[in-house]
Amino acid sequence: MSYRSTPVPDDALEKITVKGLDFFYGDFHALTDITVGIKEKAVTAFIGPSGCGKSTFLRCFNRMNDLIPGARAEGRITLDGQDIYAAGVDPVDLRRRIGMIFQQPNPFPMSIYDNVAFGPRLQGVKKADLDKIVQTSLERANLWKETKDILGRNGLALSGGQQQRLCIARVLAVEPEVMLMDEPCSAIDPTSVQKIEDLMAELKDRITIVIVTHNMQQAARVSDFTAFFLQEMAGEPAVLVEYDRTANIFTSPKDRRTEDYITGRFG
Amino acid sequence: MREAFRQELKDLKVEVLSIGRAVTGVTRDAVTSLVEGDVDLAEKVIAGDAEIDRRTLQVEEHAIEVTATQFPVARDLRLLHSLTYIALHLERMADLGVNIARAAKRTADRRGPQTLYDLIQAQGNLVYRVLDATCEALEKNDLELARKLQDLDEPIDHLYKQFFRELARLQDEEDIEWASSMVLASRYLERIADNAVDIGERIAYLVTGEFDALHDSDEETG
Repeated sequence: MSYRSTPVPDDALEKITVKGLDFFYGDFHALTDITVGIKEKAVTAFIGPSGCGKSTFLRCFNRMNDLIPGARAEGRITLDGQDIYAAGVDPVDLRRRIGMIFQQPNPFPMSIYDNVAFGPRLQGVKKADLDKIVQTSLERANLWKETKDILGRNGLALSGGQQQRLCIARVLAVEPEVMLMDEPCSAIDPTSVQKIEDLMAELKDRITIVIVTHNMQQAARVSDFTAFFLQEMAGEPAVLVEYDRTANIFTSPKDRRTEDYITGRFG
Repeated sequence: MREAFRQELKDLKVEVLSIGRAVTGVTRDAVTSLVEGDVDLAEKVIAGDAEIDRRTLQVEEHAIEVTATQFPVARDLRLLHSLTYIALHLERMADLGVNIARAAKRTADRRGPQTLYDLIQAQGNLVYRVLDATCEALEKNDLELARKLQDLDEPIDHLYKQFFRELARLQDEEDIEWASSMVLASRYLERIADNAVDIGERIAYLVTGEFDALHDSDEETG
């Protein structure tokens, strides 16, 4: 299949806009002066060496970092133009709009059905509507065929790759606008990786996807835009070195540091 | 692993450069065989073409293999891609050299007006200059020189046109087959230089990463 059958137009809207973001873990200054616009209904990949702050940055988008004592963000992040750090913004509601997939698949220890129905139930969706939501979400996660006859089985009984797709279905069940994926394929087998990459290409018609990946080939395959992060000196905050269309980053990066990293000259 | 990959890229570039110098030699020999009516030299040019074909094909095979196994990106990708194209151009240029050598064989038993031989030789000298500059630009990743190839090519086109004007002055009794062979040889030389200009554009892309570099020329090539 062709991932880039419908290229994201240059004038695509920004779903998430970041301006002058600095991030701190207590005294440690992790990220500095990050400004970037995440395009709507596109896949954006964050790449960079370990410890360059790309996961930290990703977690700023749904305020997951709020849960870490001493962590604080300065600057501005907006979702559809609204400041997500503004007073009155409910982080739980934000995390419904911006779902997250982690490196290790983390299904709840309950049935496949209940895993997917979990979010909608919390939102008060009626029991009668749940079956439809569960089926649609599993279909959209390309897991329905494999699970339709075993919906009562424990989610943890699935293979690693299936568990990850179950987690994607669980996120999709609450109709998020954005899906953050923090190295979603690091812990699963190559066939499942392929399925998840295909899935991302399908999902981006409806939602905005941001993926952190250590695998540059994956970034090149799945994303429309790529952002390269780098911590140049130990103890210094990381910076966003370059952000561009993925095709440009992987053929003609503008910054020498990007070039050196993606061609394996360091990192 | 990455070091081995990088060495492979260097080796591949060295090989393409070496083919480039071989093509320069082919062009010189072809022109000499034509101007001096040297059939043996023409035969040597024709016989040597299979080796250039083999080497350029090997470059392409190697480039595909490296692409499939090493996931080259950025300048590595541009280098591999450009070397493949450059090898293809070189292969065509060598074929054009062979065509000149064939013209040399066809015309060897007949001596035409010296002015036309002089013109071919002059055109040849300009083409050698373009070929030498092309190899140097590739070897040194010299953007300025790569872009200058277009200028170096211009007088070659002028000489080709002048060749036509000289032909028009030929008397009726001149051998028409001889004359058309000479025109074709002049045309082949002009096309060799055009291919060199295309290589210059590939070098510009390789160095700058700007794809527009490939669309600057509206010259017909072949």
